[in-house]
Amino acid sequence: MMKKRLAMVIDSSSCIDCKACMTACKVENQVPAGNWRNWIKVQDADFVQSSRPEGADSIHFQPGNCMHCDNPTCVQACPTSATYKDEKDGTVRVNENLCIGCGSCIPACPYGARYRRPDKKIVDKCDFCEHRRQRGDLPACVTTCPTKARTFGDLNDPDSDVARLLKRNKTVRVINPESDTRPNIYYMSMTAPLNWPVKAEIPTPIQLWKSVNPLVWGFVGLNALGVLAMLGKQLLVKDEVPVSAHEEKKEDGDEQ
Amino acid sequence: MSSKVSTPISRRSFLKWSGAATAATVVGSKTPVLHALVPSNKNTADGKVEHHFSTCDMCLNKCGLVARVENGVVTKLDPNQKFLKSRGMLCARGNAGIAQLYDPDRLKYPLLRKGKRGEGKWQRLSWNEALDYAAKQLRDIAEKYTRCGVLFSPGSDMQSTFVHWFAEVFGSYNITTHESACLLSRNRAYLDTFGEVPFSDVLHTKYIIMAGANRYEALITPDSIDLMSTRKNGTKLVVLDPRYTKTAALADEWYPVRPGTDMAFFLAIIHVIISEKLYDPAYASEKLYGLEQLGEHVKPYSPEWAEAECEIPAKDIYRIARELAAAAPAAIVYPGRRTSDYVNSTQIRRSMAILNALLGNWDKPGGLLAARQVGLSRVELPEAPFYEDNPDDRLDIGRAHMMFEEEGSFKHMRDAIIEGEPYPIKGWFVYKHNPLQSEANRQRTLEMMEKLDFVLTVDIAMSDTAWMSDLVLPAPSYLERQDPASGLQGSSACACVVTRNPVVPALFESKPVFEILKELANRLELGEYFDFTIEEYRKQQLKNLADAERALREDGVYYNPSKLYGVYEGRIYKTKSKKIELYNERYAEMGVDPMPTYRPPRKVPSGRFRMVVGRNAYFTHCTTQNNSLLHELMPENSLWIHPKAASGLGIKEGDLVEVSSAAGKGELKASLKDGIREDTVYMASGFGVLSKGLTNIHGKGACMAEILEDFSDELSGNMAMHETFVKVARKVA
Repeated sequence: MMKKRLAMVIDSSSCIDCKACMTACKVENQVPAGNWRNWIKVQDADFVQSSRPEGADSIHFQPGNCMHCDNPTCVQACPTSATYKDEKDGTVRVNENLCIGCGSCIPACPYGARYRRPDKKIVDKCDFCEHRRQRGDLPACVTTCPTKARTFGDLNDPDSDVARLLKRNKTVRVINPESDTRPNIYYMSMTAPLNWPVKAEIPTPIQLWKSVNPLVWGFVGLNALGVLAMLGKQLLVKDEVPVSAHEEKKEDGDEQ
Repeated sequence: MSSKVSTPISRRSFLKWSGAATAATVVGSKTPVLHALVPSNKNTADGKVEHHFSTCDMCLNKCGLVARVENGVVTKLDPNQKFLKSRGMLCARGNAGIAQLYDPDRLKYPLLRKGKRGEGKWQRLSWNEALDYAAKQLRDIAEKYTRCGVLFSPGSDMQSTFVHWFAEVFGSYNITTHESACLLSRNRAYLDTFGEVPFSDVLHTKYIIMAGANRYEALITPDSIDLMSTRKNGTKLVVLDPRYTKTAALADEWYPVRPGTDMAFFLAIIHVIISEKLYDPAYASEKLYGLEQLGEHVKPYSPEWAEAECEIPAKDIYRIARELAAAAPAAIVYPGRRTSDYVNSTQIRRSMAILNALLGNWDKPGGLLAARQVGLSRVELPEAPFYEDNPDDRLDIGRAHMMFEEEGSFKHMRDAIIEGEPYPIKGWFVYKHNPLQSEANRQRTLEMMEKLDFVLTVDIAMSDTAWMSDLVLPAPSYLERQDPASGLQGSSACACVVTRNPVVPALFESKPVFEILKELANRLELGEYFDFTIEEYRKQQLKNLADAERALREDGVYYNPSKLYGVYEGRIYKTKSKKIELYNERYAEMGVDPMPTYRPPRKVPSGRFRMVVGRNAYFTHCTTQNNSLLHELMPENSLWIHPKAASGLGIKEGDLVEVSSAAGKGELKASLKDGIREDTVYMASGFGVLSKGLTNIHGKGACMAEILEDFSDELSGNMAMHETFVKVARKVA
């Protein structure tokens, strides 16, 4: 099967800041109070007294979420390979079983797309609603948006809405020039604000370690560490019966 | 209480609906939301996923939705993509419906007040005890003061119709609804111009002026969504608002109009259109009544004159008038919804209606649309009994020139109850309505309640009005209810029918108001008038729509492909002259200005501000502020004040300020906003609550109703919420 490159094209000039996408995401992904997987950035109007704001200088709302970058600094920052780039569809994912909740990836994201989930003690972020996609639905934010500001799809499919939008329109990617992570969220060119992504901060030990010989260490070492972490996690959580096993048992009628 | 749950959408039709027949797999259950609240006797097996159509009730739009139910727990509400009226969307409130269903603050069982009103001491009653008690109170009042001695305040949901019916068979004509805090002045103005209240064809218009309407925040479907689509196609949007709302922010032109002077602007536009003959003379002579009188009437209202009143430059008024006329008939002066703003709101809206008439946009693409045929049948119910000892009229009759008989005016009703004239009202039945938060002058409402022997509130949560009641009965949310069918006008999108079946069984001891009324009727020897089920009622409603039951089952909505434009071909207007009335004879006969005559608003005294109110996209009136998901979007309200005005008062961003008026006062934080006039302040509704049963918002922000004085529109009796002048002072910590 051909690889996918899942992406969003956002027409932020359609956004009315109604926050339907944020609420839909919060419910769909059970994001705890005080945290968000997505957002709407605001470029405030520039009021010059007694003249009214017009055109591009006026207020602008810009929806966003994890940019599922092609050069993801969060992946570089993760010591356990819990954060990884899914080669099947291009999404940046967090493997909950590998994540140790260290939070190194949080400042490594220029977009602030990651947060530490207090209930699960792991780092969480947008996964383009993986469980909805599995059943053939669009991400919750896309489905619910009143003005259809968000379009989602596979850039590798030339017939997809996102591919068509990219072909027909001038688009931009919102980046910090010091940390171009090659995001997969495209904005129609008039979008604002543009200057909000921060420089990615990768913790120095991880950076050093990974920079020794990126080919060797970055590949072999990281995987080895991942295996170790997985092993460790399995040893640590040995007593907990995985949910799926539990359900299987029930279906077998053992408990009845 | 209905324990019957709607039949889930069949797998086949669900796949059809989701447009994803190829890729659908059912995933396992996720952690349920607030599992503890869900009854343990689940009626669905573990791992079972169902989808049910329903109709949102988080505001009045009634958007179609699909509820995902996993293991008997509603886990997600998604838009019904086939629902044209909402253009297949669900807003933040729609998504937050789940937090209304599983709200820990929900009322769980009947409560009887112990101690003083508002003290918060309650005794739990069984339903039998509660209904016996309520029936006895209603009977006692009826015997002592006549049946009109009970005031009914139905909400505006799909079961409210049964509260109206109950009031009728019980024998009281004293009913006030939400409407007299909302849109009665607009309705009055359009009825008295066109003979009908129109809808706007926002999607197909080329030019739209919004004055006193905020469609990107106060969401109305399909108008709010269509406003974006039409703007993308080049439609021009001009907004008049003292406040830089999101609608103003996204408009082509925003004019921070001097509050209360919109009529000056519109009369000047009319002046230009008539003096420059920018209207269609053939249309005018055929359809319009009183063009000559209007021409004379608007002569003094030049753009230069208007500029001094409304502070919009004369050159812009000339230009807008010409642009508007060039776009006509696909041009709209948006009629608006909440027009409870000034003492002459009906006349302000009349000036806008008259301008629409001159644009010749009635019943045309991109203009104002007449109601389309939906096709629901009227349910035949037995004739309501006649009570000989009843007074002749509503209690509030005659207190405004042109009140609506079925709606009345809460302000005037409240005054009359306090005065006890011409007859006493001693009981109040409230259903999902919260006048203590939504009606100006809270102290006055409390004063009214002191005159009452019995106040009964049926609601989902402990609203302020419930908190101050004698008996509080728990109602289920819309996701737990079976409702009658409801016909919706969706402008150019559709004319459609929606309904509701329970998605999950009702939680706790909640009971739908229909069941409550039925049991009360039985206890009051009125059982024969409620001798039907909602199922039977709905069947009668749908009897002339052959395909409706199937469509509702399979698509969650029935569309009537009725005529959209040209509905008035061969029809006369329902006005006295049978034409569109620029000049209204009936007004003249009553001594009311037959054409809108400008009266400047009272001047804001120095050291004071005019307070205005308005919606945002997260709250419906005063009802959803405590919803945990929406609460997170706006945990408290703040006072919008211009930085210049604030600096003069030593107020900085985030400072606690006291806002006071002749009616009352409140404390809240200041938000310094360039986007508000220096003479105006604003706050959102629904905070500063009395009820300790609203745990997220109790103690947060200030109450709009406490501070607003109770002015009202002279013609319709609608509340006038932009007439209050307030003092603002920094609170010293």
